[in-house]
Amino acid sequence: MIRFKSVISRIVILHVIAVAITSVLMSVALSWLLNLATNNIHNEAMEEQASSVAQHIVPQADGSLSLELPPSLKGLYSQPYGRYAYAVTDDQGNTLFSSLDDKGPVFAADPRTSTVQFLETHRGEAAISGASIRRTIGGQTVWVQAGEDLANRDVLIDDIVDDFYKHVGWITLPILLVLLVTDIAIFSRALLPLRQASEIAQQIGPTRTDIRLPVEEIPTEVRPLVSAVNKALDRLDEGFRVQREFTADAAHELRTPLSILRARVETLDDPRVAKALHLDIEAMSRVVGQLLDIAELEAFTVDDSEVADLQAVCAEVAEFIAPLALEQGREIALLGATEPVWVKGNAEMMKRAIRNLAENAIRHTPKETVVEFVVGENGAVTVQDRGPGISDEERELIFQRFWRRDRNQQGSTGLGLSIVQRIAELHGATIDVQNRLKGGAQFSLRFAYAGKKS
Amino acid sequence: MRLLVIEDNVVLSELLAKGLGTAGYETDLLGTAGEANAALITTSYAAVILDLGLPDGDGLSILKELRHRKDPTPVLVLTARGGLQDRVSGLRSGADDYLVKPFALEELVARLEALLRRPGQQLGSSLQIANLGFDLRSRQASIDDQPQVLSSRETAVLELLMRSKGRVVSKKQVEDHIFGLSGEVASNAVEVYVHRLRKQLFDKGAKVQIHTIRGVGYLIAEEKRDPV
Repeated sequence: MIRFKSVISRIVILHVIAVAITSVLMSVALSWLLNLATNNIHNEAMEEQASSVAQHIVPQADGSLSLELPPSLKGLYSQPYGRYAYAVTDDQGNTLFSSLDDKGPVFAADPRTSTVQFLETHRGEAAISGASIRRTIGGQTVWVQAGEDLANRDVLIDDIVDDFYKHVGWITLPILLVLLVTDIAIFSRALLPLRQASEIAQQIGPTRTDIRLPVEEIPTEVRPLVSAVNKALDRLDEGFRVQREFTADAAHELRTPLSILRARVETLDDPRVAKALHLDIEAMSRVVGQLLDIAELEAFTVDDSEVADLQAVCAEVAEFIAPLALEQGREIALLGATEPVWVKGNAEMMKRAIRNLAENAIRHTPKETVVEFVVGENGAVTVQDRGPGISDEERELIFQRFWRRDRNQQGSTGLGLSIVQRIAELHGATIDVQNRLKGGAQFSLRFAYAGKKS
Repeated sequence: MRLLVIEDNVVLSELLAKGLGTAGYETDLLGTAGEANAALITTSYAAVILDLGLPDGDGLSILKELRHRKDPTPVLVLTARGGLQDRVSGLRSGADDYLVKPFALEELVARLEALLRRPGQQLGSSLQIANLGFDLRSRQASIDDQPQVLSSRETAVLELLMRSKGRVVSKKQVEDHIFGLSGEVASNAVEVYVHRLRKQLFDKGAKVQIHTIRGVGYLIAEEKRDPV
């Protein structure tokens, strides 16, 4: 079974089939009607001929009948002309008069039952069709038969029939085709609101869940579908909203108690205990923060049209992280591009990814060494350290959540790189992990370059 | 100096009051947006510490209302939401600074002081890092309370760095600060002044260090004495 993708093509195909069937049926019906009409004309003519022959039957004094045809009629029935024939029979079936050579009846099988009868017969090769009428002349009942050889049928009528097929019959086709074109136009117009709705639907994406399809212009037949789609979008939107709200609520519920704890610890009298607790709270806060980041990333989507200046993003991360690095005896340097590098994506998310890479690097690089950010003109950023590097076995593991090389190391949650990976995924960015020639690891994040911005 | 703390968590707001009290501030504590709005109309505070999650409304609405009245009181926003949208909308609504929970009390006080030292605000006194002091009114640097002679450009650089204690000052900021919009600036001018300032401070025994963060800017911090 053929499946049609478009309503219009379905209409066209079905319409063409309908046109074909209709034009055949119409021709057949018309030609049948035409034949019927010509037959009627023929029959009437035959009946008239028979009655005109009957007018010339004259009763004789001896009770017999005689036929005195005028010359014009005689010529019509003359055998050389051969087209018409007449015969008169009595009620016993005896032929009284006949134009035929054998002086027999035109229709031997005349049932002689009603006043007018239309009959057909064959005489040799010829098919004869005609009428038989009853007349009572001089007290005698006779049947006057008149017949026409169909092979020599009235040429004019045949011409009309032929002409009908040649010219008139074809008129049905164009008319039906005009109808088809009209139908297509009507349907295209009716489907226009649907096409407009589709264009609107194109804009709907994870970042634009507020758009709904317009229902007013949509034909009632399709409206249930459009309404159902809108309702489905409502539910999706709600899902996103719930997820976002959960993240916000969770953040509030987790961070406020941590703030309290921290403030309490800061007012403790014993500075050594305070410092130890402080480190614990720091670590705890980091885990909470990163878990919330992960939760936020689950419901986060990047708007296709968003662009960010990677150079500025890196500068901001470097500014933010430099004091922490210096406190731990490590340095930060921002190298590479000094002009804006526009890439596709969300600046805040990029910041988080780069910050996580940087925090990682600071944790692994030895004291007195530099963690370098290298911003490439092509939309890549590389964060490199002088730490132990990444072994081949670890390459896959490092991106797993909660994986840590040393589970007892302070400050590491094992979540940082999985956040980086998720952000890269959201941006269609690639992560490349390499070991540096003179020791250390380097992580490259490559975003989609957005071109020069005026 | 009186501060208004708008925070619905009673425990946290009391701890804040205690901490800020130690730093020399008096505080009024309010827990709802309604009370806060009323208080801000009747009373003038040196600064406002505003938590965004309040039971009777968004803290941002208080901020918008305040700025709508053209009230310039500095507002430091506390938020549990580190989300990007929240930060952007907070700053757009007229917040002067924001801190994401959980924060260190020390950091809160430092940020607050930075806000209060802004031109037109109430804290005008002096800045101190280790033995290096800087009086913001007289624009006088001192080491171990001994006034020091610095060129005007070096003073400008030092002031900027000390105002941003604990934070990186970008090279561009330094440039703008010392040269303003006045014409061409030699590409290494900032480096030259920072270098001179660093040398002067070192020579005069200041226990501070001006760190250069390559490609980013400068940061002043207490000198780290490496354990020998």
